[in-house]
Amino acid sequence: MDIIENSPILEVRNLKKNYDKLSVLKDISFSAYAGSVISFIGSSGSGKSTLLRCCNLLEIPQAGEIIFKGEAVSWTNKTDSRQLSDKKQIIKFRTNLSMVFQSFNLWSHLSILDNVIEAPVTVLRKDRHIMRDVAYSLLEKVGIADKADAWPAQLSGGQQQRAAIARALAMEPDALLFDEPTSALDPELEQEVVKVIKDLASEGRTMLLVTHDMQLARDLSDRVYFLHQGIVEEEGHPDSLFGKPKSNRLKQFLSAAAS
Amino acid sequence: MFNVCADPSTLTEFFWVICYLTTAKHFAFYVSFFVVLVLLAIAAPLSLLFGFIATIGTRSSNWFIQIFSKSYINMVRGIPDVVFFLFVPLALDQFFELIRHKIICFDVVEPIWQGTDFVVCKAAKLPLSTADLWVHQLYAFTLALIAFAIVFGAFAGNVLSGAMRSVSKTQTETGAAFGFTQKQIFWRILVPQMWIYAIPGLSNLWMLLIKATPLLFLLGVEDIVYWARELGGSKTSMYAYPHPDWRVYYFAGLLVFYLLMTWASSKVLKRLQIKLSKGQATMAGKELQGY
Repeated sequence: MDIIENSPILEVRNLKKNYDKLSVLKDISFSAYAGSVISFIGSSGSGKSTLLRCCNLLEIPQAGEIIFKGEAVSWTNKTDSRQLSDKKQIIKFRTNLSMVFQSFNLWSHLSILDNVIEAPVTVLRKDRHIMRDVAYSLLEKVGIADKADAWPAQLSGGQQQRAAIARALAMEPDALLFDEPTSALDPELEQEVVKVIKDLASEGRTMLLVTHDMQLARDLSDRVYFLHQGIVEEEGHPDSLFGKPKSNRLKQFLSAAAS
Repeated sequence: MFNVCADPSTLTEFFWVICYLTTAKHFAFYVSFFVVLVLLAIAAPLSLLFGFIATIGTRSSNWFIQIFSKSYINMVRGIPDVVFFLFVPLALDQFFELIRHKIICFDVVEPIWQGTDFVVCKAAKLPLSTADLWVHQLYAFTLALIAFAIVFGAFAGNVLSGAMRSVSKTQTETGAAFGFTQKQIFWRILVPQMWIYAIPGLSNLWMLLIKATPLLFLLGVEDIVYWARELGGSKTSMYAYPHPDWRVYYFAGLLVFYLLMTWASSKVLKRLQIKLSKGQATMAGKELQGY
């Protein structure tokens, strides 16, 4: 039991990512343990979204390791432009690390219920009828069971994001990856999504959270990483990081965010 | 047809018209409408299939398949329909006969190409000269059908690949993020979502296909244009039903037929568009939701 608790669900070591000559991630390392919430904050362009996308293998970092439950991503041999080499492994990573996107990205041709059912049925080969019941209870949990038969375009942003969270939960992932889940929402709708995320955190789910919402990061996180220009400028427990920021960059960032 | 029609010259006006419109040749005319409809009913899905396969081909990782599909879509679209319709059935016909000649008449020493003439042995002819008339007609129709499918398949391929490119990348990427394979992304996300973008282009193609059916006439299929010209032309007293030049009425009839086809098509396509737009975040979809 100790071993499981002490080994991280997801571990990232010395990650480097650049687009052509633009270096987005310079040398990032972190570990996410089971049941913990890790937040990444920083200004736009600091690389925090790219980092999250690397964890899900949507982006391919040029260097560094991504280790899921002790299993490192395997790459093709070419060092300068390496590619993912194990298709089964990609699926294993992605089905266990479910993404929630900034702009929700619900599949527009499917009803809300079918959006929740789609991936478990297609990828995990779950039974469609059983998944219907699971999906209903998940939609109930996020408070939009009455919208099950609606189309994504008929829902408000907050409702769409809650549906997207239900979709991610339907995969029964080991960790949830939130990519600025509330940034596309106005303050009123933001709160309904924040509430759902807080509920999930209190259930003890492992979560990686990229956010602009300092309050959310402070309330939920076990550990916060402040990213600046592709490196971790400062990291620590939210109380110390927000209460007594050490670096000037973070002080500047927090005072700008507060105003 | 009817017993009263035995001697047309004795008929009253009313019965004359009835008897005239029920001659064997007029029935052939009526059947030719059916031929056009059958052609449309088969050529449309076949073209769509050709186009779909070509579209998949253009996305293939196999270099040869990709080049072949791309050149099919781009080259066939550039060739005038008339040229293509004269070329494809002839080429196919000669190709089939050539193969049959090689297999059946392997002992024939005379060359197949005698000057500019294409000569195969009698047994290799398609269809055999002894075959019934309907076999000849069916053969000509089938070759025409293939020509239609190849030409319109190229256009359909272009419409479909454009439609696939219109599907938002975030939609397919989300599939990838949830562990979909490329194949699953293609069939579960890209294909269902592309139709809404493909319908305007495909409906355009359908109209062009309807308009192109008289090309059958070029291929020796006795279609409605052939019969309208044949029956409408003035008939001297040598014929059972002599009449002056009535072609204008016959062609007017064709006009009405094609207009009716167009009208019915636009009704059906509109319903299809509405059905596909339902719930979508497109302009048409939002309109349906009353935004």
